[in-house]
Amino acid sequence: MLIAVIPAFNEAKRIAQVVADARKVTDAVVVVDDGSDDGTAEAAEAGGARVLRHHQNCGAGAATMTGIEAARRLGADAVVTLDADGQHDPRDIPSLLRPIRDGTADIVFSNRFGPFLIMQGKRRNRIPFIRRLFNAIGNVLTLLAAGKWVSDSQSGFKVLGKRALEEIDLRMSGFEFCTEIVREAAARRWRVAEVPTKVIYSEYTMAKGQSFANGVKTALKILLRSFLR
Amino acid sequence: MRLTPYQIITPLISAVAVFYAWNLVLRRRKSVLEAGLWTLFWGAISIVALYPNLLSYLSAITGIENQENAVIVTFLGVLFFMVFYLVIRLEELEQKYAKLVRHLALREAGLAEASEGQSKAPMTKHQ
Repeated sequence: MLIAVIPAFNEAKRIAQVVADARKVTDAVVVVDDGSDDGTAEAAEAGGARVLRHHQNCGAGAATMTGIEAARRLGADAVVTLDADGQHDPRDIPSLLRPIRDGTADIVFSNRFGPFLIMQGKRRNRIPFIRRLFNAIGNVLTLLAAGKWVSDSQSGFKVLGKRALEEIDLRMSGFEFCTEIVREAAARRWRVAEVPTKVIYSEYTMAKGQSFANGVKTALKILLRSFLR
Repeated sequence: MRLTPYQIITPLISAVAVFYAWNLVLRRRKSVLEAGLWTLFWGAISIVALYPNLLSYLSAITGIENQENAVIVTFLGVLFFMVFYLVIRLEELEQKYAKLVRHLALREAGLAEASEGQSKAPMTKHQ
């Protein structure tokens, strides 16, 4: 059973469409409303998702782990996580799932920076330079903290197979959870695969993305978290 | 070179600490960066213990020329450590808080595990 987990914070405008698109390629959709105040939970429910609500905003990492925990208890054997702002194309889910179904990977990371296939012709995503730079910095920090290189470590679009789903235990609440997932993959020796996917940038998604200040805060949290173990 | 007990014990303790840090790396409980930082820290402690004259170079660099300066720098070091400790504790509290919010969300969705629903508080006479 494949369940889509979508952490969401104030995405009432987009969530229903994202849920509807995800439902076409998954068996169920779980949306975790991370303390929104714009009706995100109601919009997600109207779209057909099973909704869990955080009473307070705790961060993307906490919401993702809540969704993963819910998926476990609903009997999922694979989970796909994706963003609630419509940045990811749910039609890429089958290609992300393929290494899991083939038995060659325990976790699959999407790669926004590699060429992806549309109708047999290769295309590259048009990603603003500043986003490429921030993600490159994120990748380097992740390499230092986790000891593993992932081409797009900060993407929220990934698939967890049965083993990763059973073993994953995220503690970081904010965006630094992306690095924590890579560290979990390295520490637990999961088989990792990367699949190029399409990314849809718009004024809306660009405005929703992490600011420079948030990026610095995330980087500091990654280093700080290292001292807690 | 005649070594004092301090110059023997301190490098030994440092060696054990460094060995432990790299052992954790082998067991994949620490990253290489973390072990490297700890190695530098304990290495510096050992080097200062074995070659205390290095402190005169530190005096030239840091301006610590007398006991009053040493007290101020030591106090700043303690203050830094206290702030660092508080930041670590805040991070731990944030994690516990997030865990609580998450469990509540799962429970309200009817997805809490059976064992989580059982009260661990002892029954009182009035209940």
